[in-house]
Amino acid sequence: MKKLAFSLLLIIVPAAVLAAGLLRIPATVSTTEIFRTFNPVITDAWAREGREFITKVNSFKNYYGILLAGLPLVFLVHYVVFGPKKFPESGEKVFYYGAFLRLVHWGAALTMSLLVLSGLAVVFAKFLGGGALVLKLRAVHVGAAFSFVPFGVLLFLLLLKDMLPAPYDLKWFLVLGGYLWRRQRPVPAGKFNAGQKLWFWLGTVGGIVMFYTGYTLYQFKAPVSVLRQYLVIHLSLGLAVFGLFLIHLYMSLLAVKGALRSMISGYKDREEVAYMHPKYYEKLKP
Amino acid sequence: MTNSMNDIRHSKCIFMIGSNAAEAHPVAMQHILYAKEVNGAPLIVVDPRFTKLAAKATEYVRIRPGTDTAFLMGLINYIIQNDWHDKEFIRTRVAGFEEMRKVAAHYTPEVVEDITGVPKEQLARVAKLLATNRPGTVIWCMGITQHHIGSSNTRACCILQLVLGNMGVSGGGTNIFRGHDNVQGATDVCVLSHSLPAYYGLKEGSWKHWCKVWGVDYEWIKSRFHSKEYMHKKGFTLARWYEGVIQEDKITQYTPIRAVVFWGCASNSQSQYHKLKKALDKLDLVVIIDPFPTTTAAMCEKDNVYLLPSTSQYETEGSVTSSSRQAQWRYKVVDPIYEAKTDYEIMYEFVKRFGFADKFYKNIKQIPEDVTREIARGALTIGLCGWLPERIKKHTDNWHTFDIDTLQAKGGPCDGEYYGLPWPCWTETHPGTPILYDISKPVAKGGLPFRARFGTEYTYPDGRKENLLAAPGVANPGSEIKGGYPEFPGWKTDPNVIKEALRRGMAPFGNARARCYCWNFPDPVPIHREPLHSPRADLIKKYPTYPDKPDHYRVYTRFASEQKPELVKEYPLVLITGRMVEHMGGGAETRSNKYLAELAPEMYAEINVKVANDYGLREGDYVWIESPEGGRIKVKVKVTDRVDERTIFLPFHFGGFFMGRSYAANYPEGHQPYALGEPANIVTNYGYDIITQIQATKEGLCRLKKA
Amino acid sequence: MARMKFLCDIERCIACNGCVVACKEGHQLPTGIYRRRVIIINEGRPGEHSISIACMHCSDAPCIAVCPTGALYQREDGIVLVSKDVCIGCGYCFMACPFGAPQFPRGNAFGARGAMDKCTFCAGGPAPTFSEKERRLYGQNRIAEGKVPLCAGMCSTKALLAGDGAVIADIFRARVAKRGSGVAWGWSRAYKD
Repeated sequence: MKKLAFSLLLIIVPAAVLAAGLLRIPATVSTTEIFRTFNPVITDAWAREGREFITKVNSFKNYYGILLAGLPLVFLVHYVVFGPKKFPESGEKVFYYGAFLRLVHWGAALTMSLLVLSGLAVVFAKFLGGGALVLKLRAVHVGAAFSFVPFGVLLFLLLLKDMLPAPYDLKWFLVLGGYLWRRQRPVPAGKFNAGQKLWFWLGTVGGIVMFYTGYTLYQFKAPVSVLRQYLVIHLSLGLAVFGLFLIHLYMSLLAVKGALRSMISGYKDREEVAYMHPKYYEKLKP
Repeated sequence: MTNSMNDIRHSKCIFMIGSNAAEAHPVAMQHILYAKEVNGAPLIVVDPRFTKLAAKATEYVRIRPGTDTAFLMGLINYIIQNDWHDKEFIRTRVAGFEEMRKVAAHYTPEVVEDITGVPKEQLARVAKLLATNRPGTVIWCMGITQHHIGSSNTRACCILQLVLGNMGVSGGGTNIFRGHDNVQGATDVCVLSHSLPAYYGLKEGSWKHWCKVWGVDYEWIKSRFHSKEYMHKKGFTLARWYEGVIQEDKITQYTPIRAVVFWGCASNSQSQYHKLKKALDKLDLVVIIDPFPTTTAAMCEKDNVYLLPSTSQYETEGSVTSSSRQAQWRYKVVDPIYEAKTDYEIMYEFVKRFGFADKFYKNIKQIPEDVTREIARGALTIGLCGWLPERIKKHTDNWHTFDIDTLQAKGGPCDGEYYGLPWPCWTETHPGTPILYDISKPVAKGGLPFRARFGTEYTYPDGRKENLLAAPGVANPGSEIKGGYPEFPGWKTDPNVIKEALRRGMAPFGNARARCYCWNFPDPVPIHREPLHSPRADLIKKYPTYPDKPDHYRVYTRFASEQKPELVKEYPLVLITGRMVEHMGGGAETRSNKYLAELAPEMYAEINVKVANDYGLREGDYVWIESPEGGRIKVKVKVTDRVDERTIFLPFHFGGFFMGRSYAANYPEGHQPYALGEPANIVTNYGYDIITQIQATKEGLCRLKKA
Repeated sequence: MARMKFLCDIERCIACNGCVVACKEGHQLPTGIYRRRVIIINEGRPGEHSISIACMHCSDAPCIAVCPTGALYQREDGIVLVSKDVCIGCGYCFMACPFGAPQFPRGNAFGARGAMDKCTFCAGGPAPTFSEKERRLYGQNRIAEGKVPLCAGMCSTKALLAGDGAVIADIFRARVAKRGSGVAWGWSRAYKD
């Protein structure tokens, strides 16, 4: 652990050495005492939380790095070992996503992608060399955040009913969504599985928190102690969003064949629904 | 100042009354804090307001505005009662001590506590600090002078130093900090209405002396006046000139004033500003000569204003005189920009057009050096004879050779001289007088006794006769007469007399005693008189003001008829004004500086927490402050403990608003200052000193109304 | 190697703001940017004290530790500087700084923060010394001219000291010792009244 030796110490030390010794001034307040009274005014809550804040903020860069490098590796292993989920073509299509929902989804997807990418640019600014490029990407981050809002809200309203937690969601998590099964078996899931629900709630309710903390950090109009807390919240949630974003990307593009297609056409194959969303499939049966 | 800023470093005690040097004279603070730190000098600050200076005090005394004389006389009395006065100094160099002592005896600690609000224990403590830490310096500023008994206040300060024997010694003296770098110079050449340059007065002999210096025919000068009477009659003052226009008080002049010239002068630093504005709108001609269009320009609503842009100090050169009577040469840094002209050029153009340039420019070929030479030839009373431009420049060029403590040059081209040749600098080889009335040095080496200005003997009303000359044995080393002596006849007009005096080791102006009893003043010994607008109705009867003065600098000035005990019922709060460190004077320059304006952008009133709560005011609220004369200003509230529960403080630097209305549009386009605000002087009260007619802005009443 | 430090003597500081104005005027800063500030505590009450605060040029500076871009760096002599070409205005340094030293100019589109600005110890910045770019982005480079920072040079009461940490600590130590001996300490004081 590095020892932080600040200039304030430089001020206090000589005075403290003198004051502690013979030169204690009776009836008047010593210089050291006066300096001490300034400390809470000037450094605010830094003395309590400063070092911790610095450690936390610096550690986030590592976490993001781990996710950025580690998750694709995990996906690769998964893809090689388990392969993607494929379902026999039954030919029978189930109308799964309405046109409006698809539109909203792609809007949200686009803005979310921009948010993630520009957010990563700030985290890894040093890698990109900083300066004008990242400064512009910061502006993109802000613009994308505002653009995400309408899509996020609509998505929330459109999907809320289907995204409410159900008892079998827990089971879904216990079997890790069946992604580690070598043969196809129905997984415990409704119209949306627990993973999708998590992504939904993180994207909407978490999005509100992200937006609020992000906006405050952008405006810089809060006590510095609050800003510090908000930055840690923003970075933590951002980390979760980033992780789920990558997982969502992997699932939809590679791990589940036909997932991407269904979000374009709106139709899912009956077999896929039967295996992946059996609780919903049951309801579909007449 | 009798001593110098640097000499404060030798003080063992610093007594500051009516001064907020931390804001008004920040550069002087290094010497004050040095004495406090190194000498362990107690820093006693007497002020109605807990100023930034009070924050540095070891003893802060909160005093009721306008009661300084009572407090000072109380100190003097307590010191004498305890036998702490310097008996030898008083025996040899002070006159009228017995008379003064009798008057001071009235101001017992109990009486002082009643008048000033200073606890008697604190008075005793301060008196003891003054008595046990000698030499001590007494420093004051506008907080002492701007009262209707301002001249009594200043004299009480002087008497305190005489009683303590602190005069004429290093670390002692009465040190009055002047407002800016050349106020002392302006006073010395007397841009005032009651005297010719260098304190010569307006007598016929004075006129003849200066006519000789200028090389102008006395008869011609006389012919320029309305009548000879007006040659010897004091003119209107800065504080009251507008009465010469609006004539609300009766004037004693054959004609009202019809034109006014503001030459580097801020009108918003004059009290009764709403009346002054009335005058501005009535005048035929208003000329403003300034680097900035001042508040005055914005206030004139009649098309009678001419703005003449003058240069800033960096675009011209000449000698300036500091607070410590030291001259420095201020060199030009850049050529004037735009159409700005130097003050010398503007003056010359005027004189040329008036048609008497040939008369006044006889001795002046090289500007400004010849101007300085002419002053040196004429200003004998204060010994500017040695202030030749070459010498002043030499000092400025070699300032690094002077010692910071003694101000004396060690070696180099100015060896042995004192920095800036503090006046009196009697001859072209005199080193300057760093400390006035210091009899430890020969006169030729910067020593001086007290001046013999008021004869050699005086009979007091009770019949006691006193020799006004210094006691035998008291004189500067090398003096031909070892004791008191009268002034040398003709020394004020003949430099040879001065040289003769110095040759004999004597002061040209004699060697006398300092007076505690000034028979030519309305109060021979300073006594307390309640402010005209006093919050203590019960004390008015006991300590009434003076009778009215009909011809006071050509205008009827009310004293007794203005002092009404019932006023306080309607106007319950005391109003004082003062300075902010960010702004200067009327603020034309500083409020036009974006960085200073950013630090102090708004006019405000400092109001005690209790008053604020009583009136339902919060920080940032607007409030109307109303004066008994009908002035009212709308300002922001600043809730603070700096002022007490009876007092409102206003900074006086602002302008551009008038009774709630913005006059920003009246400035020439693009020349509005960044910071505009109500001038505090709209609400400062009526009241003028009985002798100098300085405005009484540090005492007065007001009332608050939530806006 | 000497390490440059500021030290404000609170017994001397009279809150005149001379340092603040010297800094702003000297570097032609936009209004709203305070590279240096004066803080007053207990205003108007006994115990009123003021201190002039700017970047402290910390030995192990937290701002450098959190900067995601590497725009902040420390010179050999301890002066902490920022490269405005690299800074992205994220504000992490402001949150990490105990003294509130980093400043952010506004005025870009949508009020976005521009590159961070802070006290340079009058040592300019990473642009070529005495270049027009250095003057525009970072202000004067008085250190390269062999002068003390403007604020300390202007301080009317010599409260603000700037320079080699060891030297200014010595000056301050001597002052405190003098105050002690003069004001309150010593045999004559202890046994008198």
